[in-house]
Parts: sequence; structure tokens; C-alpha cells
Amino acid sequence: MKCESCQQSLEEYLDGELSEREASAVAAHVARCPSCAAQCATYSGDQELFSHYDRDLAIPSSMWEQIAERTATPTVSQLSENGFGPRLVALIRVPSFAVSFAAATVMVVFALVIYAAYMKTQKPKPVVAFTAAAQEPKPKEQPAPVPSSSAEPQKHIAVSNQNSVHRRARAVKASDIEASDVLSSDLGVQDIEDQETAKHLEQTQNLLQSIRNVKLNDNDVEIDVSYDKALSRRLLNENIVLRRDAEMKAKYPTKMLLSDLEPLLIDIANLPDQAKPEEVRVIKDRVQKTEIVAALIGY
Amino acid sequence: MKRLALDELNLEAQPGAFAGTLMNSSRDLVTRVCQGDQEAFRLIFDRYSRPVIGFIYDMVSDRELAEELTQETFVRAFRGIHSMKPQTKLSTWLFGIARNVARESLRARTRANTQVTLEDESVMGVSDQKPVPVDRLLSKELNEVIRRALDALDEDKRLVFTLKVFHQCSYEEIAEITGFSLAKLKTDLHRARAEMRRRIQPYAGVGYEV
Repeated sequence: MKCESCQQSLEEYLDGELSEREASAVAAHVARCPSCAAQCATYSGDQELFSHYDRDLAIPSSMWEQIAERTATPTVSQLSENGFGPRLVALIRVPSFAVSFAAATVMVVFALVIYAAYMKTQKPKPVVAFTAAAQEPKPKEQPAPVPSSSAEPQKHIAVSNQNSVHRRARAVKASDIEASDVLSSDLGVQDIEDQETAKHLEQTQNLLQSIRNVKLNDNDVEIDVSYDKALSRRLLNENIVLRRDAEMKAKYPTKMLLSDLEPLLIDIANLPDQAKPEEVRVIKDRVQKTEIVAALIGY
Repeated sequence: MKRLALDELNLEAQPGAFAGTLMNSSRDLVTRVCQGDQEAFRLIFDRYSRPVIGFIYDMVSDRELAEELTQETFVRAFRGIHSMKPQTKLSTWLFGIARNVARESLRARTRANTQVTLEDESVMGVSDQKPVPVDRLLSKELNEVIRRALDALDEDKRLVFTLKVFHQCSYEEIAEITGFSLAKLKTDLHRARAEMRRRIQPYAGVGYEV
């Protein structure tokens, strides 16, 4: 070892940060080189000197009490003292905040007045007889409505299973559009389709999460993915229909999300019933890398 | 007076120090705190408050402020202990919080454009007015010289120097606490040592040569 490299390593040597091999090389060099030995002694002298540094500090006995007070679980009275009301009052007492708050309040009131005046000038739209249409005798092939305490008919549909929702949505859409060309019936159908999409995305999210979270063991020869595969095939069919619907109705964010899902669903659907860990790992990595689950949750 | 410098971080290896607190490993204490045991947090405070206040004092050079910031550090630690990663060393984690707290304070002080108040008067007053034993006086003077030299370092160098020299943290721990790369912290440490040596050399005794 040369002096230059020894001196570069001396601090790390004294700090105990060198590997055993490097440390012995430095030690051997220092033992036979007076110049590096002097440098080493200087550095050791520094450390010895600094080890005598005394800040003359003490922990005040009250410090723990104050910490304990601040970290204690707040009682009900403390909560009420620190609640929204007292804080708001305290804020209002700040002059600059009070002015801003008053200005904001005036603006909100003004906006509400204008909105109310505008609503009065609007002709009330006829209420669609959606409920009435729903109560009309239905074709025999349509399933009976699901009992519910809610008065909104679309909720009846939302709670039944995916396929029946799908069929009923189409049936309601057809019958309502034929019976009436009132706008709000379209809105009702649109709402049903949104629910349908939401349910589809939720099921896809669950499937992808289960793939993402699967624990792969290198000792596994095969993994049974027959259920996931079958589910993926069903979701793939739905996905294609929903994507086309979204595209036709210019719901581009939904369309893009559904488009992103398709390749993954195809890959899962094409897995063999008894897949190899490597095949599953490839899909799992893609799910993680594309962060599609986060996108689904965000949606 | 107990020394704050070298040994506190290795308390678990010191038989007899803080008897009672050493019955619990840091990991056990963290688990107990996560379960709502405030007494366990008290033990953590007993174990780490002195190195933490020492570190903060090195950063801010103000005793009262160091006490306040130590308190703040432990309050934040209590509130965030659930998010502490299992592989993280408790002392490293606490120093990380202390570093953030100290840095926020330094930033606020810079914004307020207040001068750092050095406590020179108390030391000089003692040495001027009272008959102090020579060795005691030398020790006080040396401490004061070291502290002034430390204050003169820039923040990054002071941080790295303090953690390595006074608190015996490894390079890996310093990198974790500061977020600095290994290359930066080695450079800063080398320069800090050189600056400290240059400033202390005139005051150092016989046999201290650079």
C-alpha cells in the first residue's frame, strides 16, 4: 500500500469502517511508515480530545412530565376544549381571518341567492314515470325486483347480481326508451350503467389484488388458478362490452381504464388451470409495475 | 457531571447503567409502546433523552432551545412510533427525528434573522470571578473551544461530525439519519475534522500536533 492511499483510508480505518482485509493492509503500512504513523497518531489524538467534550447538560425533571402530558390520550373534556367550535371562535378572533371569513360568507350567501333566483326562472321538468314504468307488469323472463326499503328503483337493480343487473339494465333501457323519450329515463339508464361499470371494476380490482398478493413459493411445482382464470374470462367479456359502451358515450377516462385492464385479463384468462409459479409471477409483476390496482382504487 | 458524549448510545452494553431500563430491549419497548404502554415510552425516554439532547444542543447551541426541541422530538416519536420500520434501530430513528426538529428550528431562526446566542459569558464569568482548579478550568475552556469550533462548521458538516465523533454512529446509520449519500458524508466528515483540527490546534496542549 502506498502512503497516499493509506492516508486516504486512515479516518475510515480509525472509524472502524474498513473491511478486515483493508484494515490489516492499513495497519501493516502504518507499522512500517513513520509519516503515516504520525498522521494516524494525529487522528487518534483528535478522537481522544473530542472524547473529553462535556456539554454540561442535564435533563430537567419536568421534561418527562411535559412529554407525558402532551402524549396522554385526550379526555372528553380536553376534546371538547379542543373541538371545532372553540377553534373556530379562536380563529375568528384573529382580525385578518375574521375579515376573510366574513367576505367568504357574504359571497356564499350571494351565490345562493342568485342560484335560487335562477332555479325559479327554470320551468320544472316533467318527472319521468320511472317508478311507474318499473311497476308496470314486466315480461315473465325478467327477474322480480329485489325488495328494498328505498324508494329509488335503480337501487333495486344495484343490489342484485352482475348478470341480472346487466340483463335488467338492458330491459329497462329498451322499454323506457320505447315508452318515453323523456331525458331523465336516459339518466336512469346511464346511472345503472355506471353502477354496472363500478361493480365490474370492483370485481376486477379484487381479482388483480388476489394475483398481486399471491405468495409464490419456489418449491411450488404448480398453482391452481382455475377459479381466477374462469373469473377473468367472464370479466374479460364484460370488459369488452363496457369499454365499447364507454367509448360510444365519450367516457374516455373509463374507456382508458378498461383498455388498460384488458391485456391483464387476457393473460390471466389464458393461464393453464395448473399454472407454473413463473407464469403467475410474470402477471403479478405486471400488476405491481403498472399500479393498475391503485388506478382502480382511485377510480 | 455525567458525560453526554460517547457511551450513551451503547447503553445496552453497559452493565448497571439505568438499572431497570436495561431489562427491556429497544424492540420490546417499541412493541409495548405500540400497544399503548406509556411506561415503556418512559423507559425509552430515560434511555435516549441524554444522547438526544446532546445531539440537539450540538446542532442549535442553545440550552433552553435544546430542551424544548428534545421534548418535541419525543412527542413526535411517540406519535409516529407506529410507523417505525421494524428493521430500523431505535436510536437511529430518534436521531432522525431530532435532526428534523433541530433543522426546522434552525430554519425558523434563520428566517427570523436572530443571531445564535452563544453562552460565552457564563463560562468566562466563572473563570474570571471564581478561583477554579486548573484542571477544571482547562476542561471548561476546552469544552468551550470545541463548542465554538463546532458552531463555526456549516450545518451539514456539524451534523455529520456530531453523529460520528460524539455519538459513534456508523456511516450507514449517519446516511440513514441524514439522507446523505456515503460519498457526501465521507467528504463532509473529512472536511469537518480538518476544520475542527485547525480551530482547536492553537488551544490544544503539548503533544497535540497537526
